Amino acid sequence: MSGEVRVYGGWRDDLGLKVIPTRRLARDVYEVFIGPQHPGSGHMRIIIRVDGDVIVEADPDIGYVHRTMEKLGEIRGWIKPIPLFERMAIHDACNITLPYVRAVEKLMGVEAPLRAKYLRVLLCEINRIAAHLYGFAIFGVFLGHSTMYMWAMGDREVFIQLAEELTGARLTHSYPIPGGVRRDIPQGFPDMARRAVKYMRKRLEEYRKIFLDNPVIRSRLEDVGVIPKRLAAELGIVGPNARGSGIQYDVRIIEPYEVYDELDFEVPVYTEGDALARTYVRVEEIRQSLRIIEQVVEWLEKKPREPIVDESIYKKYPPLHKKILESQGRAKLLPWMATMKVPAGRAIGRGETGRGEIIYYVESDGGMNPYRVRIVTPSARNAIAFKYALPGHRVMDLPAIYGSLDYFPPEADR
Amino acid sequence: MAPRIGLKSLEKRRTLIDGVRSNLHVLAIGVKYFVNPRRMTLVYPKEYPRLSEGYRGFIILEKKKCISCAACARICPSAAMKMIRVMEPDPKHPEKPRMKQYPVINYQRCIFCGYCVDVCPTEALYHVNYHDVVYDNLAEMFWDLDTFQKEPEYKTALEGRPVRIMVHEELGLIKVPVGEGG
Repeated sequence: MSGEVRVYGGWRDDLGLKVIPTRRLARDVYEVFIGPQHPGSGHMRIIIRVDGDVIVEADPDIGYVHRTMEKLGEIRGWIKPIPLFERMAIHDACNITLPYVRAVEKLMGVEAPLRAKYLRVLLCEINRIAAHLYGFAIFGVFLGHSTMYMWAMGDREVFIQLAEELTGARLTHSYPIPGGVRRDIPQGFPDMARRAVKYMRKRLEEYRKIFLDNPVIRSRLEDVGVIPKRLAAELGIVGPNARGSGIQYDVRIIEPYEVYDELDFEVPVYTEGDALARTYVRVEEIRQSLRIIEQVVEWLEKKPREPIVDESIYKKYPPLHKKILESQGRAKLLPWMATMKVPAGRAIGRGETGRGEIIYYVESDGGMNPYRVRIVTPSARNAIAFKYALPGHRVMDLPAIYGSLDYFPPEADR
Repeated sequence: MAPRIGLKSLEKRRTLIDGVRSNLHVLAIGVKYFVNPRRMTLVYPKEYPRLSEGYRGFIILEKKKCISCAACARICPSAAMKMIRVMEPDPKHPEKPRMKQYPVINYQRCIFCGYCVDVCPTEALYHVNYHDVVYDNLAEMFWDLDTFQKEPEYKTALEGRPVRIMVHEELGLIKVPVGEGG
């Protein structure tokens, strides 16, 4: 029988003989490697075994998980890891760093003032929309729908523009810092945000017509890659993928952070669990994020400006810093923050990013560096879904399922 | 006012007539954008975006204000900023030179996070609002103390004309030439 010796792995037994575990494959099953050069897949591959055109087994091979982020997080002090952790999901920068900042805040015993919390939520939702649009773009081009790719990438630019006005950088905002945020909204930002919201609402209607209700797309997504509720719960899938399977789980609801409990929005949950349901969850989430942006912007406009850093930090501000905060809306850092020591303890930060729940476990031994930063990213938890969503479908369904899971390898590789 | 779960379900698999109708919708949208395309092309470098004042571009040093505290070098996440020692005349004793520390920057490493600007206690560092500057070789990206005090020449501005990128309610991103209500 050919094809039964698989020569990766293996070990030596007591006699020093090389033992290579082999497995008998069925005679007419082929192994196909999807990736790592697959467009959009990044440094990750899916090994599928096909019988004719039908996938009988899938094995998501995420490669070597280096844990560089975690290791580098232990040697750079407390504030420098923020720009580093952004690199995990660069278009979701605020969402992915906020839980870390919140964990450090817990250890330091500081809390962001209300205005800073609203500003954080504002950038988080801008990021969430941009991340979903990015996902849509990739999804569209996977399905051969290049119009969707162009539209979503183009409309994402609107929200990147908003983020740039707010923070001064397109993608790597480094916006939250322990105790607050770095900038207040600039002049004219609320109107700009409202225009962007109105524009996006209209565009979503057009997206529905050209993409979601398109009969071609519908027939490629409906009942494809079904993850039942029970399986999704067992695998620990998070984010829009879990909510597409009917699991009512969103960190913004079960453990509201910042000001999410004061805002009026819905978390969409679909029960079908197929690729179409996961897509609809994302569309609805964009719609709800637009609602949140409207509410937050109105609050920020109405309420008088106040310091956007914690009182204990603001007290130590010299007059020059206070003047800059008033005139330019820029919260300066204090020089001791570069080498600050954080009281010993353990803290956990949770947050809902565009792709699901992210957890930071931060431990301090009272020194200048974190003793340990453990990161659990949503994509790392969602990767296992490939193994169960793919079998039974044809190879042409693979891009549809891949795109609908919105898997992002750099995030999983942390 | 509180967030809540919104249970929803998809439309059922639809009839042939629905399919035909949504196909026509798709075609209608295609025709709409074929006849009336909505493009926003930035003809770079003939046009270049005039970025907002708060944009985090290249970082420049105002040497007069620097008090050699090294906070910028300590907070730099990518170790792009380093302190160097310079001999310079002491204003109090002009005959005796003194040793002073100043920051220099390596733009190969800089990630434009702007921590150094924000941490500087005397506002000796500031951002310029552009960062499309090209270098012939990597060595030029190590800025010495003299280069660090001058804003880099913005060659795009010599050739192109500035436009401001704005958000429009109907058209999404639009470009408005600077000077005409921009």
